[in-house]
Amino acid sequence: MKRFRKFLPLILMAIVGAAVIVIGVVYFDFISQRIYEDSTGHLEEIYGQVNRSFGIFVEQNWGLLDSCDDCFALAEETDGAAIGEFIADKKDYWGFSEFYFLSHDGSCMTPSGEKSSMDLGEAWDLLIDRQEPIMTGQTLPGGKEVTVFAAPARPGTYKDFSFDAIAVSYTNADLAASLEVDAFSGQAKCFVIHNDGSVLLSTQTGGSVFGNYLTYLKAVSDMDAAGFEKMQSDWRGSVSGLVQCKLGDVSHCILYQPVGYQDYILLSVVPESAVSAGFLSVQQTTIGVLAVIFLLIGAMAVAPIILRTRQRSRMDRMELRYRERMFDVLSSSVDDIFLMLNAANHRVDYISPNIQRLLGIPVEEARKNIRVMEKCAVNYNVVIPKDELAAIPLNGNKYWECEYMHQSTGERRWYRMTVYHMSIQEVEKYIIVLSDRTVEQQMNQKLQEALDAAQSANEAKSNFLSNMSHDIRTPMNAIVGFSVLLEKDAGDPEKVREYTRKITASSHHLLSLINDVLDMSKIESGKTSLNVDRFSLPELLDELNIILLPQAKAKEQSLTTHVQGAPPEQIMGDKLRLNQILINLLSNAIKYTPEGGKIDFVVSELPAAAPQYVKLRFTVRDNGIGMSEDFQKTVFDPFSREISSVTNKIQGTGLGMAITKNLVDLMGGIIQVESQPGQGSTFTVELSFVLPEQDGSEDWFRQRIGRMLVADDEEDICLDVRKIMGDAGVDVSFVTDGAAAVESAVAAHSRGEDYHVILLDWKMPGVDGVEAARMIRQRVGESVPILVLTSYDWAEIEEEARRAGINAFVPKPFFASTFMQAIKPLFAEQSERHDAPAEGPAPGVMSGRLFLVAEDNEMNAEILTELLAMEGAGCEVAVNGRQAVDMFAASEPGHYDMILMDVQMPVMNGYEATREIRACGHPEARTIPIVAMTANTFAEDVRNALDAGMDGHLGKPVDMEAVRELVGRLLNRTPPREGGDAT
Amino acid sequence: MNARRFMAWLPALAAALLLTACSGPSDQDGATLSVMGKKSDLNKSYMTSILEQYEQATGNELRVIAYEDAEYETSAERDFANGDAPDVFLHFHNADLDRFDADENFYYLNDESWVSDLTDSALAYCEDTDGNVMGLPFWENSVSGCYYNKTILDSLGMRPATTQAEFDMLCQTLTDIGYTPICWPADGCTWMFQFAMDPIFADDPALLERLNKNEITYADIPAVTDMVQWIADAAEKGWFGRDYMSIGWDEIGPVMSSGGAVMTFIWDTWFYTDFAADGAYAKEDFALMPVFMDTVDGGTYEGGNLNMMMVNKNSAHLEQALDFLAFCAAPEHYNKAFDGISTVNCFKGQTTNIQSQMVTDASVSIEANERVSTAASKIVGYSAEDVASALKSLLLGQTDVAGCVQMMDEYRIRQAGIQGAEGFPAPPDQSAGG
Repeated sequence: MKRFRKFLPLILMAIVGAAVIVIGVVYFDFISQRIYEDSTGHLEEIYGQVNRSFGIFVEQNWGLLDSCDDCFALAEETDGAAIGEFIADKKDYWGFSEFYFLSHDGSCMTPSGEKSSMDLGEAWDLLIDRQEPIMTGQTLPGGKEVTVFAAPARPGTYKDFSFDAIAVSYTNADLAASLEVDAFSGQAKCFVIHNDGSVLLSTQTGGSVFGNYLTYLKAVSDMDAAGFEKMQSDWRGSVSGLVQCKLGDVSHCILYQPVGYQDYILLSVVPESAVSAGFLSVQQTTIGVLAVIFLLIGAMAVAPIILRTRQRSRMDRMELRYRERMFDVLSSSVDDIFLMLNAANHRVDYISPNIQRLLGIPVEEARKNIRVMEKCAVNYNVVIPKDELAAIPLNGNKYWECEYMHQSTGERRWYRMTVYHMSIQEVEKYIIVLSDRTVEQQMNQKLQEALDAAQSANEAKSNFLSNMSHDIRTPMNAIVGFSVLLEKDAGDPEKVREYTRKITASSHHLLSLINDVLDMSKIESGKTSLNVDRFSLPELLDELNIILLPQAKAKEQSLTTHVQGAPPEQIMGDKLRLNQILINLLSNAIKYTPEGGKIDFVVSELPAAAPQYVKLRFTVRDNGIGMSEDFQKTVFDPFSREISSVTNKIQGTGLGMAITKNLVDLMGGIIQVESQPGQGSTFTVELSFVLPEQDGSEDWFRQRIGRMLVADDEEDICLDVRKIMGDAGVDVSFVTDGAAAVESAVAAHSRGEDYHVILLDWKMPGVDGVEAARMIRQRVGESVPILVLTSYDWAEIEEEARRAGINAFVPKPFFASTFMQAIKPLFAEQSERHDAPAEGPAPGVMSGRLFLVAEDNEMNAEILTELLAMEGAGCEVAVNGRQAVDMFAASEPGHYDMILMDVQMPVMNGYEATREIRACGHPEARTIPIVAMTANTFAEDVRNALDAGMDGHLGKPVDMEAVRELVGRLLNRTPPREGGDAT
Repeated sequence: MNARRFMAWLPALAAALLLTACSGPSDQDGATLSVMGKKSDLNKSYMTSILEQYEQATGNELRVIAYEDAEYETSAERDFANGDAPDVFLHFHNADLDRFDADENFYYLNDESWVSDLTDSALAYCEDTDGNVMGLPFWENSVSGCYYNKTILDSLGMRPATTQAEFDMLCQTLTDIGYTPICWPADGCTWMFQFAMDPIFADDPALLERLNKNEITYADIPAVTDMVQWIADAAEKGWFGRDYMSIGWDEIGPVMSSGGAVMTFIWDTWFYTDFAADGAYAKEDFALMPVFMDTVDGGTYEGGNLNMMMVNKNSAHLEQALDFLAFCAAPEHYNKAFDGISTVNCFKGQTTNIQSQMVTDASVSIEANERVSTAASKIVGYSAEDVASALKSLLLGQTDVAGCVQMMDEYRIRQAGIQGAEGFPAPPDQSAGG
């Protein structure tokens, strides 16, 4: 009942509206009927007038002919000019097209004397026999259609032509003009037809296409047979009438009226729309006006109701908006999210706008479909579980703990979702409050993490101390123990050498342990930085081979280095750190691979992010002991070593992989491991390097080597060589066995197109590289340089190879730079005939040199003095930086060959001393090589030394190999001074 | 039109002709005349008949040179250029004849006795622009016009149009009551518009002369634009029906015999050669009225396009060749050759051929409105295919009326240039090649 009352006004309005429509329809139907009747009456009236006018016209023509007849009868001379003039006057007045004298034999003549014939058909009988005036159609020669009005005349003669009747003709076009009316929008057609339907006249513009309109009506109209019968009956009985029918798709009114002469009928055909067009316009205007009036009245009646309703609705909406706005403002300043859903369809009625800030979900998106929140859910996939919501009783509530992730930032937040099921204005709603618990959750997590960290740190500390205790004590124990034994057996040289060797080994191990601990400490404290400089990748790989091949060889392992593709040779990076990473990985592989095992080291180029970068992947794959899945998770953690019967026998600090991982991270790369116990491990490091500018080696190759032959049983290597050298403009041919290489070289020789260089793999199935070289020399001669490409130490075959005619060796993997180093001297020999200067440091490079050593530690100074002396070099010691500066400043030019500078010294440290030396006025102040010799061995220490003006850096304890190498490099441009000695 | 107009038939006679052509030189008194023509033309029964009659009556042999239709123009042009021109040469009086340099190669036949026996329309066709008789028309003659279904119009109480206004009224009235007034095969049929273009140039030879000298273009002639506009309007008003763009030669017969359209623009002999009365209407249901396309108020008919026998004025056997033409033009010989052939008279003395009743019934209107084929044969560079292509673009809505006329001009001028007609620029690719 309450609902009925609510809709009562609408029902009443609908009833009133329906009544108005029914009354309107009835009224307009009545009006339409009246309008149609008036319109057809109008049509009849208009064409009645036309018909009467046409009748008068016909009557007048016959009157005209009668007057002509009288005139001719009175004329004394029927061929006289008077008749001609009379007719000409009448023609001017009446406008007929021609006048005819007609003879009873059908011939006719015009007043000008032009004779022809006229076929009047049945009308002729009326005219001649029954002496009645006639009106008929006639087609003249040439096709012109005319209507002829003829009347009997008293027999006479005109221009010797005997006539019995006279006639005038009008062109049908002229005559039709008299039937045209301006009404009916020009859409009316009017015909004068015989009662059989044949058309005499038509008002159609330009002529007529109708021969018989009755036939046309029968063919195309929708009039039924009875209608036709009635109409034809009317036509035959000279009765007027009006019919409605469709012609094609258009309704027409067809009005027929007897003309009153013979059987002629005036037929008017007008589209029904045109008949009542004017009235319809009035009708439509009336309808429009009435409709407007009704609408106005209705609007006036309804307007107050609508206005009041709208006002109330507007106020409600405003109040709602205010509330929503206020709630929006309140919710925007809190981290709780509020939603209201329709319980029936789960549509969102309200959602607080802070959902975008807190969860990254646009409000509109959430409003359209609340399910979008599922995208943020971390631990609760169905955010609003329908079943569980339905289970909440009305006025009850339920809550869940939820974790969400911000869509944009990935930030995680924790909420307690409380759902209240309630009824608001008789509509059931779910009000959902997501209370932010993030702070509490994070605090709890932090507390847990802190607890875990503390426990872990404690455990790590214990482990560390335990490891350190063990790892330091072990070599220390050896050092102390063998030192005691050394003292005891000092007189036995054999034992002294044995003990010294063991003390040295233990010292080295202890040193590496300390280095690793310090490295790790430095990295973890975030103080490690990279020393980026240009370096040669081939050199790096060569150095790795030099260092690691002996180790692998000692365990009878195969260590092969592959370079896939053609990575650039010169790159920018921290060579020292990269070396460290790769040595760690490779030495681990050697370490954890049993004797006779296989280790592959692969360098491959990956697509780089930008043209100025190169991305390299270093893969170290072994078939060693492998790692368990659990250990793989902690392999990069400090002090982690897998416990097994094998590893227990292997020395190590457990810091190497942690350092490696940290260094890779520092260099912005990634390191991954795949392993299976007993099957081996694969470590993959991916790093990006900046590319330096080109060094122009391509030009060198292009100018000297046009063609070269490569033979290697591994086709990939041949392809790599071809790619690398092809880029340098060299045309590379390759074969995959030694015999083919010989064949190719001989064929080229016989063509007179010797290769400029032949590069042969050492170990190939069948004919190996050395044998192939021998055969080539026998058949081709000595002119072509032949080089051997090998990944093995060629020392064992060098003598035999050179006897076979091999000029040089190129290490695998193939690089343009190493190839150039090998080939350059050969080309120099060719051009300068044994005048090529020797490159590289000569043995005994330190012999005869005098060093200024700045070292505050007396023991270190003593050790260094002894070591230099062992190399045949002398030194003078300064105990601090100040003294070193003074000694150098006071020295004669050329006195010292080099300064070895400790960094941490009292009075003046090594950096300051170096700067002062470089700034002093000594002639060699800027050129004297100064090398840091310090226990500070980190990258920034190296950089600081170079920044201070030093030329190199050597770490303590002193490694004489490194000293020799550096001294050789720095001093090879100056000959050793004479008489250098220690002081 | 010609490709479809006359079917090649009587292959046996072709074989006979070939045998004749391969036989050796005559032993008789007369010389062996060479007669050159298209293979399909020479295979026509009346052609084989007249050639046989000549050989039998005179004992002279004829050397018939029959080229395949597709290569006829180029082969004949090559023979003329190489000095191998035939004694008697068969060709239509159309633009392609310009290749053969009439002044240099063909004998004007104005003084031949048989000229007076030619019907006016046939004679007009054979005359060049200077009034010289170029050849003896020995071909099926026809009258092209608007052939309408008289039975349908009679049943509607309607009658054929005599003026452009009536024709338009007729089309609209038929459209209003659901008929398709005109069968307009737009797909590949190329002759429809040449009928309407005839009066533009036949009635004003000066206009044709200026057009052929490239002094004016179609765009300068309002009647051409009127015609194109009429076609566009007719299509717009639905006078061609709905599917006219996909209707081609093969559909005309079925459409007309089924009453699918009331009128089409065609020629009388088509009803004897291509119209299969397999629908509701036979050829007796059709009658003829003029073609109306707003180029002339009273409409127009086009006279036949006739193959002419022309005489090589440089022939060593000139007299014998003229005698051969006289033989062909003798009533007893042509009446025997055309016995039973459906054709409008080319010769006044033609009596044995079948005259189309439609043509006979419309003879008064034809006499008043017939024009000799002018557009296709006298306009330099005229190509029916080109005009059809331009109009197709118009009907597809790809261009407007002015654009269509411009396309017609561009095609014509380019074609005239290719033919090397005086006053027309050579196409770029030809002029570049020197």
